[in-house]
Amino acid sequence: MREALLSAKGISVRFGGLVAVDGVDLEVHGGELVGVIGPNGAGKTTFFHTLSGVLAPSTGRIFVAGEDLTGRPAHAFATQGVARTFQTPRVFKEMPALDNVRFGLEFAGRTRRHAHDAFDDPRAILEFLGLAEVAGVPAGGLTPSRQRLLEIGMALGARPRVLLLDEVAAGLTHAEVDQTAQLIRRVRDELGLAVIWIEHAVRVLMNYVERVAVLHQGRKIADGDPRAVAKDPAVVEAYLGTEGEPERKAA
Amino acid sequence: MKLRNEILATLVAALALSAMPWLLSDFGLSLTLTCLMYAGLAVSWAMFCGATNYLSLATAAFFGLGAYVSAWGADSLPYGLMVLLGGLLAAAFAGMVGAAVLHLRGAYFAVITFGLGELVRHAITYYEKAFEGTVGRIIAEPPEAVTIYHTVLLLAVLAVVTALAVRASRLGLALRGIGADEERAQTLGVNARRAKIAAFALSAFFAGALGAAMAVRWTYIDPPTVFNPFIGFQTVLIAMVGGAQTIIGPIASSILFSLLTEYLRLEFPYLFLIILGLLLILLVLYLPGGLASLMQRWRWGKNNA
Repeated sequence: MREALLSAKGISVRFGGLVAVDGVDLEVHGGELVGVIGPNGAGKTTFFHTLSGVLAPSTGRIFVAGEDLTGRPAHAFATQGVARTFQTPRVFKEMPALDNVRFGLEFAGRTRRHAHDAFDDPRAILEFLGLAEVAGVPAGGLTPSRQRLLEIGMALGARPRVLLLDEVAAGLTHAEVDQTAQLIRRVRDELGLAVIWIEHAVRVLMNYVERVAVLHQGRKIADGDPRAVAKDPAVVEAYLGTEGEPERKAA
Repeated sequence: MKLRNEILATLVAALALSAMPWLLSDFGLSLTLTCLMYAGLAVSWAMFCGATNYLSLATAAFFGLGAYVSAWGADSLPYGLMVLLGGLLAAAFAGMVGAAVLHLRGAYFAVITFGLGELVRHAITYYEKAFEGTVGRIIAEPPEAVTIYHTVLLLAVLAVVTALAVRASRLGLALRGIGADEERAQTLGVNARRAKIAAFALSAFFAGALGAAMAVRWTYIDPPTVFNPFIGFQTVLIAMVGGAQTIIGPIASSILFSLLTEYLRLEFPYLFLIILGLLLILLVLYLPGGLASLMQRWRWGKNNA
């Protein structure tokens, strides 16, 4: 079997007495689009922080393309091709949108080339995201949904091999979510990326990913085909126990 | 292209300024020298602090270190070499200290860098007393005033050209990213620690070199004079009043400040610090973006007329 692009083994994160992430394993290959879902406080974002090097796990190891990056700083992860977005968009507000995208190209993306060079130009990335006409606008002046798109653009600018998306669909309309999902699938297909997509709203995600992992109270309780996972009794209980109506439809 | 024009403009201004010793009176020349010193200090301070949003009060420490290189080497080393060594010592010190404290932010960093000045001052005072048996040093044969002027001019011009080049470079982009959101910049591949240490050391080089270049004017050097916190505060104020995110702002405001300080000192010898303080408060209150924002507003108004 091919080597996984991203491989997390037994990741745990403890804050004092609180165990936020508890022994999670996850392997993602190039060209895979994997969803990670879980109720509030399941440890999704904390898990993401460890995958992107923002936070070092208390125990466990993280390999990117076979290289052990455990405990290395965030820029080392980025240089190895792990790019991410943040739940609340963290664009460089005073820089024009174009410079926000160029930023990744100048640093993390400097040493790599994409499979084909459609995304080697910040303008092409903005075009692809439908943000071409705001290239010169300071990012802080964009609407929240455009800032979310720009976050994806910043990550793409870093010429990633692994793309981590943290709730990119939050606050978007149905049509916008659909568009964003198409977009994500397209970059995944064109560039052969491994994509991990966290979403709090399960229904959104289930329709778009081929594989889904479920976190609950810091543990991974399921991992597989979305339809099978949705029927998994442990998953149903985790969601019904803490949430309510909307997720029932998904399950 | 833009960078080349800016550097060209700086060099033309430098050429004009280099003729001043033959055009100005002694008083005028000394005033110009002060302008140039503060321009160099403020521009190099803003090169790191303006972009990264760090508040460093270490300028006095770097300046004083450079000055002491002059004091120690005055009798044995050529002037140009002392200026270079003063800059290098300050840069090395900044790199070392930066590696230890640059992870701090905001008030913590400001307080630490201020304490740094005091630490160096007391360390040198102790060293001089305990091992050299002296409290101050006399520079017996200072260089010609024209030499000093040209050296300080050269340093100020180098500071401006370096700031322009840094702003246009990847380092400049990294620093702006760090200033806006350090963690985000790191997740996009910026080695923030390395960028900050490099820029901090680079900006300290100019403060140290200017300290070494200016020290010979005092003839008598002791720690309270060269580690005068006033120099550090003045630098920060000039840069902030001018607009620390820009390069032209600190230059403009160093001219304004030096002239204003001199004028007030002559006209109102007892009140001048009070007036200066009030002016500062007004400027900070009503022009938080600095003088540079005034220029931008004016330009914007013209374009939209």
